[in-house]
Formats: sequence, C-alpha cells, structure tokens
Amino acid sequence: MLYRNSIGVVALAAVFVTAVADARAHDETKYPDWSGQWLRTGGIQWDPSKPIGRGQQAPLTPEYQAIFEASLADQSAGGVGNDARYSCFPVGMPRLMSVIFPMEFILSPKITYVLFENNMPRRIYTDGRSWPKDPEPTFAGYSIGKWIDEDGDSRFDVLEVETRYMKGPRTFEGTGLPLHKDNQTVVKEKFYLDKSNADLLHDEITTIDHALTRPWTVTKNFRRERNPSWLENDCSEDNHHVAIGKENYFLSADGYLMPAKKGQAPPDLRYFRQSLR
Amino acid sequence: MRRQLAVLASCAFVATSGAVSAHHSFAMFDQENPIELEGVVQEFKFTSPHSFIILQVRQQDGGTQLWSLEGGAPSALVRDGWSSKTLKPGDELQLTIEPLRSGAPGGSWSVGRAKFKDGRPIIVTP
Repeated sequence: MLYRNSIGVVALAAVFVTAVADARAHDETKYPDWSGQWLRTGGIQWDPSKPIGRGQQAPLTPEYQAIFEASLADQSAGGVGNDARYSCFPVGMPRLMSVIFPMEFILSPKITYVLFENNMPRRIYTDGRSWPKDPEPTFAGYSIGKWIDEDGDSRFDVLEVETRYMKGPRTFEGTGLPLHKDNQTVVKEKFYLDKSNADLLHDEITTIDHALTRPWTVTKNFRRERNPSWLENDCSEDNHHVAIGKENYFLSADGYLMPAKKGQAPPDLRYFRQSLR
Repeated sequence: MRRQLAVLASCAFVATSGAVSAHHSFAMFDQENPIELEGVVQEFKFTSPHSFIILQVRQQDGGTQLWSLEGGAPSALVRDGWSSKTLKPGDELQLTIEPLRSGAPGGSWSVGRAKFKDGRPIIVTP
C-alpha cells in the first residue's frame, strides 16, 4: 500500500515539474498583452471603411461579379443569395475575422488560439512548422504564424499569419460577396496593438483568391473590453431560418414553416405523398 | 388584406439606426418598409443565435395572431443592458418592425425601436 502511494506521489511530482517547466518555457514578458474581450469597431461588412454590398467595390472578376449580382437580386426578393450562414453554416476564413460577436486570444509559444463567441476557434501554429502535405480542408483553414519583434525591445509586437486549405462555400459578408468555389484562398494577416492605444487591436487582412482580380487588403479594428461578460451563442439552439433545397423559409411562432419570399411555393413534399399511399 | 391586423401602419422610411447586427443576411425582412405593430408579449425567447419576441396581435375580427419577431443575439442584448427578464409575458409593446417580405406574420425587431404600448421606454441597465 505504501509502495503504491509512493508511486502516486512520484507521478504527481513529475507532472508538477513538467507543468513548471512548461510555464517557464512560456515567458509571458516576451508576448504582447492581448487579454480580455475584443469587439469589432465597425459594421458587419467586410471592409469596414466602405458600405456593405456593392459599396465594398470588391475587385471581383466578371464571372464572380455576376455571381454577386445574382446574390443581391435574390436577397432583394427575400432570399438569402449566396449567404448560407442563415442556417448556421460555418462562415470560415476570412469572414471569421469580421468578428460579428466578440473574440478572445489565448497565446502560448507554440500556438495561438482565437476563440469566437459564435464560431469554432482558429488555431494559429507558431512552432516553426511547415505546411502539411494535403491536409483535409476546414472552414477556418490551416494557419501558420510568426511572432515578430518590430521595435527591437525584446518583446513580440506583431503576429503575422498565413492561412490556407479552406473549405467552402464561403463569402466575405452576408450580402453573398463570394470567394472562389475552388477554395484556393490564401489569407495573410498582420495583427498588432495600436501604438497609442493598447486597447485597440488591428488586423490587416489580405485575401488572395481566384474570384478576385488582385489581392484585396482591408484593416479590421477591435476594441478591448477588460471586464467582459461572455455568453453562449450556439446557433443550433433556436434558429428559425430553415433551408430546404435552394429555398429558405421562416418558422412561425407555433413552429410551422412560413414563406420568406413573396409568392414563395411550399417545399416539395413528394416523399411525404409517397409514404401516405 | 395582406395584413388583417388592427394596428398596422406603414412607415415609409429606410430602417438603419435600429437595425439588428445579424450573423447572417436579414434580407428576408423588408428593411425599406417597416411597420408599426402593437401587441402583448406571449414569450420572450432569450435564445441563440437570435432572441425572439412572440407577440399576440389583435386582428380586426377580434381574434389574435401570433407574430414571430427576431431580434439581437442574447449576448448583444446583454451588452445593451438587456436580460432574459427585461420582457415578461403580458407586457404590452409597441414596436417598429421589419416584416417578412412574404407577408407572413414574422419580422425583425431592434432595441432602439421597441417601447411599451403606453409610450414608456423599456428600462435597461447597461
């Protein structure tokens, strides 16, 4: 019995020593203070300096401009266009960084987590790894980052990130401003605190995508809430928007389907008719 | 006859200031033709992704119709000082809503355009 207890004590001590070693390895004085809750300072559009939709003046190819125009036309009739988010579909990168609901950073030497109130987290690997060979694509993509000490004060102040291997469909914003369906998007970001305001975080985002005629750079700005409240925001709890085929419907107060568009036909019930025969 | 409701008046202005910051397109709601709606709260659903006010609206024939009104996410409402207890069943409200384009009894509501029926503001503690 004594022998078994001794093994337990030794094992516990080993775990403690390892934890202390890990803590020492993460020298917090080398990393910027990005703690707290970060909220967007602009609207919900992609480029916060321009109006949503056509006002974005996105450098789309003619083919993707036509896809965008079709999305806008569908939305003016009450449809959702290219925006699948209404049915809780993941937004993916780069739209995640519109930060519709707040985000939080967890920094460590090998990985930075970006947590979102209403989306799956991003993982930014900063351990010096190379790109994996043929990884499974994900909506958030695969992100590799690099910390930089720009002003030479022995403390990192910039995190440069490149993200590849995304899954689709994805759009830049709710208007259905599209990314290319080949999902070859590359997103390059530069995160840094404002030099005169430590509660303001900038993210310069350049998107390279075959739907675009050139790389498109926008800057997102986030303000810090140092005493945040966090709530759950799980899209599956009570979403009243229903996707059936290519149509979108809306749930009534008593749980029945209602049309979203004027003159919209009910869903095709062919298999229900079959089961009633 | 699109809306057989006692208290509806078309408001021909573009809704901007009180718009809900949604995680998805709100294109199914007619933001350019908001309407006034009065009714009694049946339920205030403080749920994700968006809150809902289920409002009993009196119709011309004396009956009531339930309206499903989508609002901000609970987390956004909390940051505006709201809680799940801000509205109670039985509260009488006056809202400017953006109705479903289909004419069905649904729409979107926003914090800045909701008050009690007697004109009192909805008191919150931000």
